Amino acid sequence: MLRCHTPPQCRPAVGAGAVLMRRREMAARCCAAPRVSGVEAASAVEGGGGEKRTTTMAERLRMGSLLEDGLSYKESFIVRCYEVGINKTATVETIANLLQEVGCNHAQSVGFSTDGFATTTTMRKLGLIWVTNRMHIEIYKYPAWGDVVEIETWCQEDGRIGTRRDWILKDLANGEVIGRATSKWVMMNQNTRRLQRVSDEVRDEVFVHCPKTPRLAFPEENNGSLKKIPILTDPAQHSRLGLVPRRADLDMNQHVNNVTYIGWVLESIPQDIIDSHELQTITLDYRRECQHDDIVDSLTYIEEGEEKSSNGSAFAAPHPEEQRQFLHCLRFAGNGDEINRGRTVWRKLAR
Amino acid sequence: MAGSLAASAFFPGPGSSPAASARSSMNATGELPDNLSVRGIVAKPNPPPASMQVKAQAQTLPKVNGTKVNLKTVNPDMEETVPHSAPKTFYNQLPDWSMLLAAITTIFLAAEKQWTLLDWKPKKPDMLVDTFGFGSIIQDGMVFRQNFMIRSYEIGADRTASIETLMNHLQETALNHVRTAGLLGDGFGATPEMSKRNLIWVVSKIQLLVEQYPAWGETVQVDTWVAAAGKNGMRRDWHVRDYYSGRTILRATSVWVMMHKKTRRLSKMPDEVRAEIGPYFNDCSAITEEQSEKLAKTGNKVGDDATEQFIRKGLTPRWGDLDVNQHVNNVKYIGWILEVSAPISVLEKHELASMTLDYRKECGRDSVLQSLTTVSGECTSIGTDKQASSIQCDHLLQLESGADIVKARTQWRPKRPHTTAGNA
Repeated sequence: MLRCHTPPQCRPAVGAGAVLMRRREMAARCCAAPRVSGVEAASAVEGGGGEKRTTTMAERLRMGSLLEDGLSYKESFIVRCYEVGINKTATVETIANLLQEVGCNHAQSVGFSTDGFATTTTMRKLGLIWVTNRMHIEIYKYPAWGDVVEIETWCQEDGRIGTRRDWILKDLANGEVIGRATSKWVMMNQNTRRLQRVSDEVRDEVFVHCPKTPRLAFPEENNGSLKKIPILTDPAQHSRLGLVPRRADLDMNQHVNNVTYIGWVLESIPQDIIDSHELQTITLDYRRECQHDDIVDSLTYIEEGEEKSSNGSAFAAPHPEEQRQFLHCLRFAGNGDEINRGRTVWRKLAR
Repeated sequence: MAGSLAASAFFPGPGSSPAASARSSMNATGELPDNLSVRGIVAKPNPPPASMQVKAQAQTLPKVNGTKVNLKTVNPDMEETVPHSAPKTFYNQLPDWSMLLAAITTIFLAAEKQWTLLDWKPKKPDMLVDTFGFGSIIQDGMVFRQNFMIRSYEIGADRTASIETLMNHLQETALNHVRTAGLLGDGFGATPEMSKRNLIWVVSKIQLLVEQYPAWGETVQVDTWVAAAGKNGMRRDWHVRDYYSGRTILRATSVWVMMHKKTRRLSKMPDEVRAEIGPYFNDCSAITEEQSEKLAKTGNKVGDDATEQFIRKGLTPRWGDLDVNQHVNNVKYIGWILEVSAPISVLEKHELASMTLDYRKECGRDSVLQSLTTVSGECTSIGTDKQASSIQCDHLLQLESGADIVKARTQWRPKRPHTTAGNA
């Protein structure tokens, strides 16, 4: 059984007032975020002492909130019709967008910057930003149009130089875990573009909001999120060349959005796999950034002879024979420098 | 069933402890259900007043997903009934307001969570808070309304929602309207009577007028309705407003024709289909006739007063661009059109004020397209602002092999500073 964070015991009633104070405090921090402007509607609850506790409409509409202990954040989303792909289920890009969205909202709700960089005060002083190093997503059951997905996310330290953010996705209707994801981030100096250690100052700012004991979305040993992706030198079996960023692929900082890379990786998967299989796992190692004028080649290599299934955890695909596994490389068309490396695992669709 | 589970989780019988009831309602992963652990506060054992319990169960309806789900603020009701159940002496202290607050919050939050999964008949339709975004039919069935919060990945470099995001919302509300009205046949484009006859709706024209672009985190309210378009077509209009201020964000109108799925030929509207959708026809217009003509005027020709032409070739759909029929989603065309509409220096300073799209032909995964744009300088802009430096463009998206896919005309105005909802 997957061991997740055990929530604290229910507080005794005496503490109820204190807990509510905490929620009020968190709501206030959300309100302070510049983007939540406008009218704050009075919430359902009014204290008798004349104090108005406000939940902003935005907060309630977003249905996202820090969990009681403040260490993780949960939000729910309905899958919209245009987020659904050829299989009538949400695309993996949709899922990745939602993971990004909930990560963003979490960072905001604990007071990180809202400029898209999610930085702390010290980081901004020193010109430091977070950069994604690796992204690993596993999806066991894709949600369909109209389904509600509940995503919980938290972050924590990862060694000396980085941080990790984990997610668990559940189908809100039945509480079933439909996916898990984890990502690694490192700090980089915005100007020199060099990596930097997480200093104690920053650590204090960031990790006060994180679980103190490690909590992993992938706690099992030797799980897919830890597997290395080798350098690929042989000629690729499949490729799609000349991919170009669209305007919509650029994020607020004029770099190609992390999620676009997933789309590019999928571009060079052969049609017969897309028609007969469903993406179960994708791992991406980010190496270089890409901008509007770049041209990208997407290469796919069949990965053979690897241990195909995870070690019997409850979430693995049933039989290795029904799985296909590929390694990927995204590189600049011009000089061949690597942008991303990836691995995908596909399971056969039950058609 | 869901409702009673909630009721039992929150109103444990006398003598039972929160832990006991939590154990009984633990879910598969061994975690305590959210409603207990997360909120942390459970009304101590005491059967709820009859009025509360009846209330919770009254809302239990079989449907979980889909039809007519919406939420309302329950403030007035909650505040009426709960005081009657003010905790008496089950805490070893005098009842104080923080306890009351705790009880109210817990009940409200738990109930809210359950209500999102149940059908819910609105008592005050105009004050609906569409928390989960299912949307609802208002005005006696003539209009469908749904709210969207602008997400972080839906905005462009200038932090406002892209036009594709707005159009995606329009598409979503259209489908939800049809679904909520019980008129969703197979797939996304047909009513049951249409599906029987292999007919689908195909968009032929869309016009939009944007007044302001919403920013990240803002909430928009989309109203949509349908009307007749000639004898055999259908018109669907939208009016999008900022949720808080009520200011108009955009207005749009679209014309749809009926086509046979297999032969791809246009079809007349069968009487049975007219019977299905006729009752929903609402004569309102989001964009008036004169505005419509002005938007579309000077026709299709790439005129001689054209100043600059741009072309972008080799556009191909990605997997994510395809809908369930493996055709390129309508909204993606707009992305391609705008890719090449004008030099970046121009686009950075201007925003799309209006767009008219004529859909000619569909394209699929293997299509290779090119996008041509003719920029024709200044013109008097539409709308209330009289800005000198508006720009007008004619666009053509076609297969490299020649067939036209979409023809469009856009008008751009200098970017305005974004006013937040509060200032409006």
